[in-house]
Amino acid sequence: MKILSWRLCALMLALLLPASTRAQDETSARTLDPLSRLDPAYRYAVEVLLDSARLAGLPTNPIESKALEGIAKNRNGRQIVIATRDVYRSLVRSRAALGPSATAAELTAGANALRVGITSVELAHMASTRGAGKELTMPLVVLSDLVTRGVARDTASQTIFQLWQKGAADEDFLGLWRGVERDIVSGTDPGVALMNRAREVPTRGPAPTTPPGARSENPETQNQ
Amino acid sequence: MHLPKLPAAAAVAATLALLFPGQRARAQNASEMEVRLEAGAATNSPPGTVPFRALALTPSIRYATNRFTVRARGAAWHDNNQWHLGDASASAQVFAPLRYGVRAELSAGASHLFHDYALQSDQVDAEARLHWMQEKGGIWLGSGVTRPLRVGAVSSVNVSSGGIWTSVGPTTLRGSVTSFFFTKLDTTTQTNRPECARNAFDNTTFPEDAASTDGCRHSSRLTDVEGSFQWRQRLLELTFRGGHRFGDSLDIEPRSERWASMQAAVWITSQVAAVAGGGTEPAQPARGFPARRFASLGLMLAYWPIPRQAVLVTTPASLIRAFELRPAGTALQRLTARIGGVETVEIMGDFTDWTPVPLLRQGRDQWELLIPMSPGVHQINLRIDGGLWIAPPGIPSIKDGFNGEVGVLVIKP
Repeated sequence: MKILSWRLCALMLALLLPASTRAQDETSARTLDPLSRLDPAYRYAVEVLLDSARLAGLPTNPIESKALEGIAKNRNGRQIVIATRDVYRSLVRSRAALGPSATAAELTAGANALRVGITSVELAHMASTRGAGKELTMPLVVLSDLVTRGVARDTASQTIFQLWQKGAADEDFLGLWRGVERDIVSGTDPGVALMNRAREVPTRGPAPTTPPGARSENPETQNQ
Repeated sequence: MHLPKLPAAAAVAATLALLFPGQRARAQNASEMEVRLEAGAATNSPPGTVPFRALALTPSIRYATNRFTVRARGAAWHDNNQWHLGDASASAQVFAPLRYGVRAELSAGASHLFHDYALQSDQVDAEARLHWMQEKGGIWLGSGVTRPLRVGAVSSVNVSSGGIWTSVGPTTLRGSVTSFFFTKLDTTTQTNRPECARNAFDNTTFPEDAASTDGCRHSSRLTDVEGSFQWRQRLLELTFRGGHRFGDSLDIEPRSERWASMQAAVWITSQVAAVAGGGTEPAQPARGFPARRFASLGLMLAYWPIPRQAVLVTTPASLIRAFELRPAGTALQRLTARIGGVETVEIMGDFTDWTPVPLLRQGRDQWELLIPMSPGVHQINLRIDGGLWIAPPGIPSIKDGFNGEVGVLVIKP
């Protein structure tokens, strides 16, 4: 009877050990290669995008991050590839609009802005008026959010552009965003909320020139 | 004599104008509910009477949205092996949308108050308030009318109030001035002829012909100046309150000239707190209650039933009372959130490779996490009790490309 018990124990160990080792392998593989959770065909498509970004000198983090986000949110491979392709394209356009000197954060914020409907020309116009040491990241993040919340694209981009030209600091943009968000939650029309709050931002620089949305040579708006 | 009615009418008119604007306001469908039950020993000591001590059971419920709040509260007293109904109150408030920092409020309520078996009263009241609110503070002006029932001395009271408040970190300071204007003193006919009350808080009467030339009618005004200090940090909530009453010495009991009280709650778990309080309270002019000393000690159970829809659909702001990110050393960020009545709070983002990471509970509704985050633009989602991933409130957000939204964080070098 004792011998039988020992044999049973040995058999159980023999069966359990490889299973637990296999589980550990899967976990470590997932950590080392997070894209392993993606179907091979879709994974290949994402890796092609990553290679293209690398060759173009673009940051690859936003693309890989979008793929992982899709996996975490249980989206299928097709949806993930569409989303990552969208990120890649907007990064290419963002770099073209913001110029080679743009930081990775600015490129990412610019790509986000393009994805919510801001045009390359509007981005380029903001970049062309950038002073030394000034980062476009925060204004672009706020601009993207405002459009997402329902502020008309032209109104949002013109207002943010004017504040940017007036020399508004990151804190000013964040304060503007907080005020607008509070007003929208309280029931104020998003566009009206933005116009009201923008008046409260202190002027720190020269008066604005032509707003970006008013440019007639805007190729993207002409095509719409 | 009629002057106090004018500001009341003006305040009500302004409030109505703001409450029902011509343009239909868009408001988020945010709602929250809170259910509480306090159980403990309480004692009331009106001056000159034997202190009333009993076990008290106090349930309350509150339901709030962006536009209205409804509250109901009751109390049952256990004394001499019997349960008795104690306090009971119900009230409703309606709010106008916030415009240019201004918000109007209309409130109405009915209540039954219980000091001891000999001293109970009912009351209905209505008030209009105008608030000017900013992120860290605000002021309000209000006017209303109170109608006590079953109170011999006072038939109605006009109440005008104004106040100021500010929040600094975990501390909230409030100051208020409340003026009570008694338009009429009641008459009684126990001896088949009119009799007058001696003052606002005294039910003993004297014959009308011994009263002033106005007969029983005379007006008096009391003004309360009150301040409160509320401090809330993780497991502990403390509230101090104190005030001073000004007015005709005939209408103010000596014990009502100054008052002070303290209440404390220590949260043992996220839904159970030990509560203690005590101090003095001034007389309540609208109810004919004298000043009193009180003390209470007990346990409080709190429950925030969250409608599943509220988590899944649109309104994290109503559940998440605060969401903050602060630098906490090199490359570390301290993420804190205030979310009451939930079991788990998780975040994920590009900085976690989109792997869910749970926040640690640090008190009744405080959640915290220290997490490494490099400078740059990061995306973050938050999930409550395993619900849908949402963009945390208080930070900008964008569409995530998967029919959802994601919060955007900018970490500076």
